[in-house]
This record gives sequence, C-alpha cells and structure tokens, in this order.
Amino acid sequence: MPNWASARGCSMNTKTKIMTFLLLLPVFALALYESTGTAGTALKHPTEVEAPVICSQCHTDWRASMDHSAEFGGLRHKFSARQNKQTCGLCHTESFCSDCHANKDQLKPSDKYKDSPERALPHRGDYINQHKIDGRINPASCMRCHGRSNNERCKACHR
Amino acid sequence: MMPKGDNNVMSIKVAKRSMSGVPPASVMTGVLLFVLILLLAPAGARAASLTGNSNTYLQSRESAGGANLMPIYEYLDFNVQNLGKESISFHFGGWLGYDLQDDSFGNDKKKGSDLQYGYLSYRTKDHNAVVNLGRVMVFEGVAAERVDGIYARTDLMKGFAISAFGGAPVETGTDLPGNSTIYGGRISHHYEGLYTIGVSYLNENKDSNTNKNSDIWRREGGIDLWVRPMNKVELTGKSSFNFQTVGWMEHSYYLMLGPFDKLRVNAEATWISYGDYFASTTSSVFKMTPGGPLDPNEKVKILGPEVFYAINNNWAVSADYKKYTYDIAGSANYYGAKATYAKSKSYNAGVSIHKMDGDTDRLQYDEYRIYASKKINKVDVAVDLLDVKYKEPINDVTNAYSATLAAGYELTQKLRLGADVEYSKNPDFDKDIRFFLKLNYRFDAELGKRKGV
Repeated sequence: MPNWASARGCSMNTKTKIMTFLLLLPVFALALYESTGTAGTALKHPTEVEAPVICSQCHTDWRASMDHSAEFGGLRHKFSARQNKQTCGLCHTESFCSDCHANKDQLKPSDKYKDSPERALPHRGDYINQHKIDGRINPASCMRCHGRSNNERCKACHR
Repeated sequence: MMPKGDNNVMSIKVAKRSMSGVPPASVMTGVLLFVLILLLAPAGARAASLTGNSNTYLQSRESAGGANLMPIYEYLDFNVQNLGKESISFHFGGWLGYDLQDDSFGNDKKKGSDLQYGYLSYRTKDHNAVVNLGRVMVFEGVAAERVDGIYARTDLMKGFAISAFGGAPVETGTDLPGNSTIYGGRISHHYEGLYTIGVSYLNENKDSNTNKNSDIWRREGGIDLWVRPMNKVELTGKSSFNFQTVGWMEHSYYLMLGPFDKLRVNAEATWISYGDYFASTTSSVFKMTPGGPLDPNEKVKILGPEVFYAINNNWAVSADYKKYTYDIAGSANYYGAKATYAKSKSYNAGVSIHKMDGDTDRLQYDEYRIYASKKINKVDVAVDLLDVKYKEPINDVTNAYSATLAAGYELTQKLRLGADVEYSKNPDFDKDIRFFLKLNYRFDAELGKRKGV
C-alpha cells in the first residue's frame, strides 16, 4: 500500500518552498528594479486614437507591430498580449479582454456587440453547427478558450 | 515519464473551490475590505477616481428544446484609481444573470454569475512594476490564466524584465473535490526596436490527480519571441513544451512583411502535437482516443499567407489562405477574400467569402458575409447578413443563414439604449427569431473629495 502520509508530507514541503519563493520574489524584484532607470508605460495613451488603430502612423519602433490591422483581432493580438500586456492597457480596460476571454459566460461576444459588425468577434451566426467542422479541422482553436474554462455548456452534448 | 494523454480529462479531480469560478471568500473579502478602508482614508489623502460601465442585456430566444428563454444580465466593470495613493487602484469585472421565463443557466438553474476579475493593484511610476492581488488575469508567455492569487512584474536592468504569479487556478468543467495551486513566471529581454525574447514556465498541481505518484497536472515551459531584423520585417510567436508528456505542444509563428506602400503580406506557420497539446483539459470535448476524432498521435501543420491591400484611407481588400496538413487525417484548406470600407466613427461596411475545404464532404462549407453600420448623430444602425452553405446536409439542411438588424440611440453622453433582432434558419431551427435589448451606462465619480475642495 502506498505511503500516502509521506507523499502528502513531501507535497506540502514542496508547496511551502513554492510559497516562500513566491513571497521572496517580489522583494527580490523590488530590490532589482530600484537600480534600473527605465521609464514606465503611461497609464493612458497620451492622445486619443481612432479606429482603425494604426500605431505605425506615429511609431517606428516595436510599437509599430501593434497595428490593429484586419488580422490583429483574430490571431496576432495574443502574441502582443503575452509579451506586453501593459501596452494593451493604454487604451483597453480589462473588461475588453474578458468580453471574449471569459471564465464562465453565456452570451457570445458577437451577441453582445451586434451593433459593431466590423469587430473580429468569434462565433457569429449558426456557429453551433459550424463548430462541428471547425472543431474537427483545428481543435486547438477551441482548446484555447474552452479547454479549461468556459466549457460547462459543452457538457450538454459532449458528455 | 507519463504516457502521452494519460492525464486526460475525465480522470482528473480538481478543486471545487476554484473550478466553480467563485473566488475564495477570504480573498475577495480581504480585497473588498482593503478597498473600503482606503476609500474611507482620512482627509489629506488624494481623491480616488471611479470609472466604469454597467451593461444590462435582455435576451429573448427559444432553446433547441422549445422552451422560451428570457435571461437578463448585468455586466458591471469599474476601476478605482488613486486609491489612497496615486499608485494603488482597484479593478472589478463580473456579471449576474437571471432568467425571467425558464431555466437558461443549465441544470435547471434560473440564475448565474461570475467574477471575471477583481484585484487590487500597486503600480510604480517607473520600471513598469506592478503587483496585482485578487482574481487576476495573467498573460505571460505560456500562461493565459485566471488566478485567485498574486501577479507581479517589473523591468530590470539592461532590458531584462521579470514576472511571477501564483495562487489557485480559476477553471471550469468539473466539480470534483480537491485543492489546486498554480504558479509560474517569465523572464524576458528586449533590445529596443530589435527583439523581445521571453522564457516562461507554468506549473499547476491538483492534489487529487489520479496519477498518485505526483500532484502535478500541468508543467509547461516556453519561449516567446518578437524580432524585427530589418525595417518592414517582423516575426512573432511562441513555442510551448509539455514537461509532463515530454514533448513540444506547439510552435506558432507569424511573419509580417510591410507595409510596402499599400501592401502588407503576413504568413502564419503553426505546428501542434495533439498528445502534448490536449493533455490537460477539464472538458470531455478534448478527450483523446487513438483512432478517434482527437487522436493523441495526430500532428498538424498550419501554413498560410494573408495579403492586405489598402486602396485608400477607407477601402481595403485582403485575401487569406490556410493549409492544414495532418500526420493521420487528410489535409484541409481554408481560403477566402474580404473587402472593407471604414470611416472613423461614422461608417463601416464589409463583404467576405470563405471556403472550408476538408477532405470529406462533411468537412466542407462556404461562408458568405455582408455587413454595414452607420452612425448619424445620436443614432447608429447596423445590418449583418451571414450565410453558410454546408456541403453535406446537417439535419437535412445545407443552407444556414442569419440576418441581423441592430439600432442604438444615445440618450445622454453616458447612456445608450440599443436593440437588435436576429432572424435565422439553420439545421436546428426552421425559423429562429431572437431579440436583444441593451442599456449601456458609463459612469465616473470622484470619491473621497470634500465639498469645496
């Protein structure tokens, strides 16, 4: 019979180490950042920008890569967000992200914003049937949003 | 080493507390108490500014089972800045729902709710240093998670930056008991205008994991990259490695060329190994079975260019193509074109046609869409027509279409009333009419400011 107590003790020890690491990390980071000279990203974009947002009209450095061109909303924005989320915060509040990236939601983003048909929002129209094809062709595209969240309604059919 | 796919969905026991989407009471109570204390801070403290949105939605529709549903939702989000100090803020987003007619929230439930995010944030003026505490959304390299816990990041010396997070994962899909923890971090380096490269790691433990030799459920690492070797050439993307199955989950990269005058050319290249990518999920949708629709030995390559041409400041056309090549299944192609017209804050229109060309009739459809929206003073109207033609009938139907008409009126600068009606015919409904009412209210206030000050 396995020694569950021992296994649990080992696990708790690991968790204690992890928590200690996590608690020390901000202190470590604080000490390091005090010695840096980098300026912070502004809280808000200093000028009002109008859609379509073409950052490269003014910026020639890495910010130019955040041009909100046609494909930005569909695929490319995830790369920018995972590297530089604070830049998104210049113009967007967190609710802008959670409109689509939900933990539990019943309303499709395209239902909330039928008055903005120009926005790249997922699952327009009869997607309940279309997803049977898209899901077979590229299931990874479903996994990103429904793999570990917002999947409780999937159970209605996928038992 | 664990066999690939061994830690798949249904065998996993997970934390009821965080899986349910309801935050631990202690976390939220603590955060809210702290906010209250700061709001009641004595004179001398800077006035806090509150901004937010209240979105009330009322939907009327019929379920596939024939029940009439009329759920009403309240989506509320707000930020409180300068909370006690200029560098402290509070952020909240969540929704409540109640069905006025039937049970639209599943499992005979008339109501539902979710806390999307709710955290206290400390941010410095320099160095992009941030510490968030509460229910936080984390997007860092391999991590795209909701966590009840802590997230921190800061710039370091000479272009380096570091971030870390830890707490309880917020996930859905199962209600089996157990405790879960998640932690991870990312170290990055950037050279202004040339590259940003990051290395990230994520570990998620579930102490009821059926793999009794370990609590570890997910252990993922990755590299993310943005590089601009020369003007008008950019490459961005990431690679993720699954330490549990000991295999690469995904390589996903995006090349952007241009703009060359009015032309931009982009190309996507993605490679996914199913056995490694779908190894940790809470939904049976992604349960892998050898020889099944989701085969753990399957690998897919997705390659595809996109070409964009801006005819002038308003008109643009684009064409896109994606080729899916599988190790086991047959190949598939997705391609199409789009034309758009956009005039800022006034007019938008577009027409597109796309074809999904799978290797069997069952995996083929044509998609047509045309839309337009216009804003005239306080009134805005939009129309959206979508038609999908399936090659193989679904419930004897090959043509599924929907027509939507939406209109809105700005009652005041902060209050907008909107309504839309959608008529559709599809494999599930001969005739489906859905109504949607929405009331958007933007609010702001100065908190803790004394009269005359």
